[in-house]
Amino acid sequence: MKFPLSAADARELRAGDQVVIDGEIVMTAGLPTIQRLVRCLDGVEPLPLALHGVSLFHLGSFSRETDGRFEVLYLNPTTSTRFNAHMPRLIRELGWHAVGGKGGLDRQCVEAMREAGCVYLSFLGGGATLHSQAIRRVVEVGWSDMLVHYRLVRLAVEGLGPVTVGIDAHGRSLYAEEQLAARERLPEILRELGAERSK
Amino acid sequence: MAITYELVKTVTAQLYDRSLRGIPEDTKAALQRADATESNETARHTLRIMLRSADAARTSSQFICSDAGVPVFFVRVGTQAQFSGNVRQAIADGFDELVATIQPPLLPHVTNPLTLERGYKGRGMPIVTFDLVDGADNVDITCSPKALGSGRWAALEIFSFPDLATIEKFVLETVIRAGSQPCPPVVIGVGIGGSFDYAAKLAKEATLRPVGEAHAEPIVADMERRLLAAVNKTGFGPMGTGGDSTAMAVHVNYAAGHGFTPVAVCFNCWINRRTRARIYNDGRVETVE
Repeated sequence: MKFPLSAADARELRAGDQVVIDGEIVMTAGLPTIQRLVRCLDGVEPLPLALHGVSLFHLGSFSRETDGRFEVLYLNPTTSTRFNAHMPRLIRELGWHAVGGKGGLDRQCVEAMREAGCVYLSFLGGGATLHSQAIRRVVEVGWSDMLVHYRLVRLAVEGLGPVTVGIDAHGRSLYAEEQLAARERLPEILRELGAERSK
Repeated sequence: MAITYELVKTVTAQLYDRSLRGIPEDTKAALQRADATESNETARHTLRIMLRSADAARTSSQFICSDAGVPVFFVRVGTQAQFSGNVRQAIADGFDELVATIQPPLLPHVTNPLTLERGYKGRGMPIVTFDLVDGADNVDITCSPKALGSGRWAALEIFSFPDLATIEKFVLETVIRAGSQPCPPVVIGVGIGGSFDYAAKLAKEATLRPVGEAHAEPIVADMERRLLAAVNKTGFGPMGTGGDSTAMAVHVNYAAGHGFTPVAVCFNCWINRRTRARIYNDGRVETVE
């Protein structure tokens, strides 16, 4: 699919679908970065890049500047739940229609995503080699004053993925469903575990 | 003849470097077995991409994960081993040199827990644990870098005269709490008994065992088999988006203790980074894995 996604694109997807990313994405792995973006919304400082309507992924990357040009050597997802507290506001106010990383986001985020028409995409953790092969060009880098994996990097990619829709724009989260199902199954699982033990 | 500072420095740096560029063979085989039994189509697809990722990293000598973790070494010193230099310093210097030269460069993950400042250096880093092996004329070193994704879901609770059902329930609850987060399918290490610190060590060492190698004692091997089946009924699946393959193995270690029984549970993500070598008194280096 062509990225960044529109709200209409996002609403066409269903939890469990797998897609391949072509086009432009923005990424960061930094909690300080996400917190700083929230301060931008509060008017403390301007946004470092145009971030309205982008597809923003929780991806750690190694970027470096050589002769005034940035290059990204590798990228890979980081744990998204670390950003739970801030994502609803960023999704709503910046109109993001695709976010992602690994491990999903919480219920407040799912609600914000349903309102905004936004999907969560699960990247393969431990996929750095494959993901990095999809890098075509570094478009721009924001906040170069921050740690290398905390920067905001806008990247042109081709064939990134496949990634799995972990949360769709209709309020369905595979992560929430699995947590609920596992907790519901637990008494039965423990009963079977015990029955096997006594043999 | 003695094991030199230079050799320890070089070998430990190489162990760390190599651990980042692929997955152990036993782990690959476990993923292939999971692919053969997984009933969820998306999960099977994810398992196959994992195997492709592992092969791509090995073939191209690139990092499999952007998070190289922090350097963690388990050093088993033979009582007949002779050293001609400082061992702890050699490991620290080896890591420093690796940071300066490795391609591609590492991200700065070493974190001061009080200030949250990050870099490549920090108090007590690299994390090195020492043990003795009676009679051996070598030093046996395992490198298993640890990162946040799986590291943060470990848990320890202390029970008083627990029955097996209580211990096993705690393991399952810890697995459910971790849920989709630790990049499943995981290797789960369980340490039972001893003392607070020793139970955690037992659990950690259990994750280093070859995937699926059963404990020598039938009661423990039976617990491992039953726990693995139970964990794989939870449904989290590869990368936590659903499936039967939540764990590749549950390894349990135990030690006698008092009536208070610590139970520690920890996780390795699917890439299960682990390399190991022995250095002998005559300077020979044996790559174990």
